[in-house]
Amino acid sequence: MLMHLDRSAHAAVEFADVSFSYAKCGPSISNITFAVRPGEFVALIGANGAGKSTASKMVNGLLRPSAGTVRVFGTDTAGVKISALARHVGYLFQNPDRQICQQTVGGEIRFGLQVLGFEPSEIDARTARACETFDLDVAANPFALSRGERQRVALASVLAVAPEILVLDEPTTGLDARESRAVMEYIAGLNREGRTTVIMVSHDMDAVAAYASRALVLADGELVADAPVDHVLRDTEVMRRASLVPPQIHELSARLAPDYPDLSDFTCPREMANAVIELAEGGDGVEKSA
Amino acid sequence: MISIDRLTFTYRDSEAPALRDVTLGIAPGDFVGVIGASGAGKSSLISAINGLIPHYLRGDFYGSVTVCGLDTVDASLTDISHHVGTMFQDTESQFVATCVEDEVLYGLENFGIPAAEAYPRVAEALELLGIAGLRNRDIAGLSGGQKQKVALASVIALRPRILLLDEPTGELDPRSTQQVFDILERLNREYGITIVVVEQKLTVLAQHARTLVLLDDGAIRAAGPTAEVLQQGDLLEELGLARTGVAEFSSHLMSAGLVGTIATTVDAAEAQVRSLLC
Repeated sequence: MLMHLDRSAHAAVEFADVSFSYAKCGPSISNITFAVRPGEFVALIGANGAGKSTASKMVNGLLRPSAGTVRVFGTDTAGVKISALARHVGYLFQNPDRQICQQTVGGEIRFGLQVLGFEPSEIDARTARACETFDLDVAANPFALSRGERQRVALASVLAVAPEILVLDEPTTGLDARESRAVMEYIAGLNREGRTTVIMVSHDMDAVAAYASRALVLADGELVADAPVDHVLRDTEVMRRASLVPPQIHELSARLAPDYPDLSDFTCPREMANAVIELAEGGDGVEKSA
Repeated sequence: MISIDRLTFTYRDSEAPALRDVTLGIAPGDFVGVIGASGAGKSSLISAINGLIPHYLRGDFYGSVTVCGLDTVDASLTDISHHVGTMFQDTESQFVATCVEDEVLYGLENFGIPAAEAYPRVAEALELLGIAGLRNRDIAGLSGGQKQKVALASVIALRPRILLLDEPTGELDPRSTQQVFDILERLNREYGITIVVVEQKLTVLAQHARTLVLLDDGAIRAAGPTAEVLQQGDLLEELGLARTGVAEFSSHLMSAGLVGTIATTVDAAEAQVRSLLC
């Protein structure tokens, strides 16, 4: 069954008064309303157990709302099967081992494409392209790879489908700095050039600051902020409530700003250091002239 | 406490050594952070200290590792485990019980600790991690962060002299990550437990570790006081390790001749700026 997409829809993803609670236990969410525009890069942030993964799983129908409506490109997902949604919404799990189920990297990438009914020639082409893009050996056993490599396999499998919407649950967990940067740059490229809508759940505030334009902040299942990333990262009250720690330079800049207004609003270490050097040298100049 | 002498280890079925000519001494009570890119040998170093190498993870072993006076090749894993507690990267694979209390009890029972002592230790460990309220919960229903705290409680309850942790905060939010490191710092300072922790989050490591060991392709590229290792910006860059924001900020001030040391925390960087501009 194919899903009808209204590509002219104002929102790629829309949550309207969405609530959810698990039958036994787990993070519930209550009355969440937000809309993500096509091509936007949004970060979904908050403490462990705040409901981030729960909310993100409702975008592709892995979980269904107890109340309220989730729309994808204007279509209420309530009547749409996960398999139909999966064509349009790619979901990267936090732990790649929850996702990987095949004995070879190639088999893993093909699996998703086969399930979604792609033509064999298309499957071959996409699998080869995904392996090349992510520098993966098509014949390798994914379970013999490192955590970082397995994460790349999982991401390659999701991206081979070329979904319009990408939901990433902690895409850089377990990756080193270089791997994280490579993965994030690739996703940012898809977002910029391919206009892929990205919803990223992350605890990595440096990655959030560097790549997302807007942040949705969840605390105890409620949406407590929906604002540009820089604004959110400097909002100490929201950050505290959501158990988050801002990137170091955001924090340093915020601490110094009351006494040194010239040092407010910095996010880049080099730029802030240059401003401090200028102030320090300027101060010397004033002393000398005095 | 831990003495590694010219250790080279190659896993069976592998051609390249996972650890190359590693010589490292760790003093009692030190707080050591192990950093390096994926595949640099960080987890292998942990396995070499707790004896999984060579007892469980087989291969060619050259050199020697001594832990609390025990040569890890001669001593049994059981003997080593009385001194060394390990929290593995994949906590899911570590769990044996379905409920939190049973999980923390399991290790104590295996060590033959009588029930009269074991139950208070379970309570103490859960209290220390701030998860006393989870005592009777099913592990399956916990969040990733809560599971990580349960795994850490299980290890801490055994009161090891050396605590090894392989990326203990991988799935934790920043505040919980900070909490875990605060706990590690307390275990280190108040109980004298030697800590060796593999961690990708250099920001938090820079705040707590007194010593950093930098691995690259199985070999030690740098080892020493945290600020000194963080000062080596070119090396960190070469190995693809992102420097912390304040270390990078502070290194620019140092290059300009304004400060003499690299700040490893936001507090230290703030103090540097205030003293420069006062």
